[in-house]
Amino acid sequence: MKAYATKLIDLTERKAGDMAKRWAADVKKNHRTPSYHGLPEDRMIEQAISFYTNFRQMFFTENPYDTAKAFFTKYAEARYREKIPLQEALYALILMRRHMWLYAEFQATFITSIEQQQAAESLNRTILMFDYATYQITEKYQELISRDVDRKLGAVKTIMMEGAGGGKKGAFKAGLMGVLLLIACVLTYYYHATLGKGVIFTHLFYIPIILASIWWRKKGVLVALFLGVLIILSHAFFLEGAPLNDDIVRAVMFVVIGFVVARLMEGLKKVEDLYKTLST
Amino acid sequence: MKAYATKLIDLTESHAEKIAGQWARDVKTNVKTPSYRGVSDEKIILQAAEFYRHFREMFFHDAPYEQAEKFFEGYTEERYREGIPLHEAVYALILMRRHIWLYAEFQAIFITAMEHRQAVESLSRTILMFDYAMYVITRKYRDLMKLEWFEPPNT
Repeated sequence: MKAYATKLIDLTERKAGDMAKRWAADVKKNHRTPSYHGLPEDRMIEQAISFYTNFRQMFFTENPYDTAKAFFTKYAEARYREKIPLQEALYALILMRRHMWLYAEFQATFITSIEQQQAAESLNRTILMFDYATYQITEKYQELISRDVDRKLGAVKTIMMEGAGGGKKGAFKAGLMGVLLLIACVLTYYYHATLGKGVIFTHLFYIPIILASIWWRKKGVLVALFLGVLIILSHAFFLEGAPLNDDIVRAVMFVVIGFVVARLMEGLKKVEDLYKTLST
Repeated sequence: MKAYATKLIDLTESHAEKIAGQWARDVKTNVKTPSYRGVSDEKIILQAAEFYRHFREMFFHDAPYEQAEKFFEGYTEERYREGIPLHEAVYALILMRRHIWLYAEFQAIFITAMEHRQAVESLSRTILMFDYAMYVITRKYRDLMKLEWFEPPNT
């Protein structure tokens, strides 16, 4: 295989700087690569030179998939860090390939019929390499996006207590909720029946309400409902004569907050599932 | 441009079902496209046959980008709805292109020096179309992943 492609490879290596400059000028004004327009030219030329000088190795290797992977995984990571969207990173790479061929055509590298055959073979090999590159870059981007989503949801996921040990964690959640609701009942009785007033203690109810909505989403709203009914009934039994309006507002707020948190959690779960499904 | 590529286009169109069948077998066993394994043969073959039947239109169109955009946005929406990961949808499409050429090679339609020249030109045009396809598919996937209140990180 070495013989047929030597011309293209030699040219690409020898003229890497020229090709890289032409590519950078193109990508900086191409309407499909707007994220590159603001990048410093030197840095862009550097990435194209890196590709063109690694081209020989990728072209002639016995194991093109693995060799391409080593190079293009780094390419994907670097573009991702620079916040280049996937479609632009891929298109910029496509332009890199095109500039190689444009330059070869401009230099009239493939003229005779034998050279035309060589051109077809070189083209096939280059395309194979780029097929792998497209797949590897896309896969890497999906992996990086998924990792980013995981990281951004990290704190919430810790509170959600999901993942390995599902059964044990489920029992722990139910147990903890039981204890919190028991404390809520005791507090309600103590404040309403013993002290005869219904003040600040109800703010503590938001802890089980929010936790229940995070853990069980819509079903968790039942906890808010239970606590709302608890303070209204307790008020009716132990605080006769005192106006009930405040506790009705509190009960309604419990349910509203529980419902809002549950909806948010459903949204987050949807996002997480979407990224898991589409990137694995 | 029409003259040089007629052979490839005619072959692809007239053997669309056959090429699609070969592609389907490949995609169902390829390690890079595991999500296609559980999909029925019929459904898979249909998507490739549809692409092969549209091949002439995309190939000869005066505005290849717009034509590719029209076709591949639909392709992306369908794969997205089926829950196919982006990198697999992209690789399946690469295999679709390869199977056109594998079939053409198998039928030995490019033999003489003139035909080799035609092969290079057909290949270049096909690659251009697929370059656009890759751009359109990855951009469309990003749009589809963008939920009303959630901006996907750097897609």
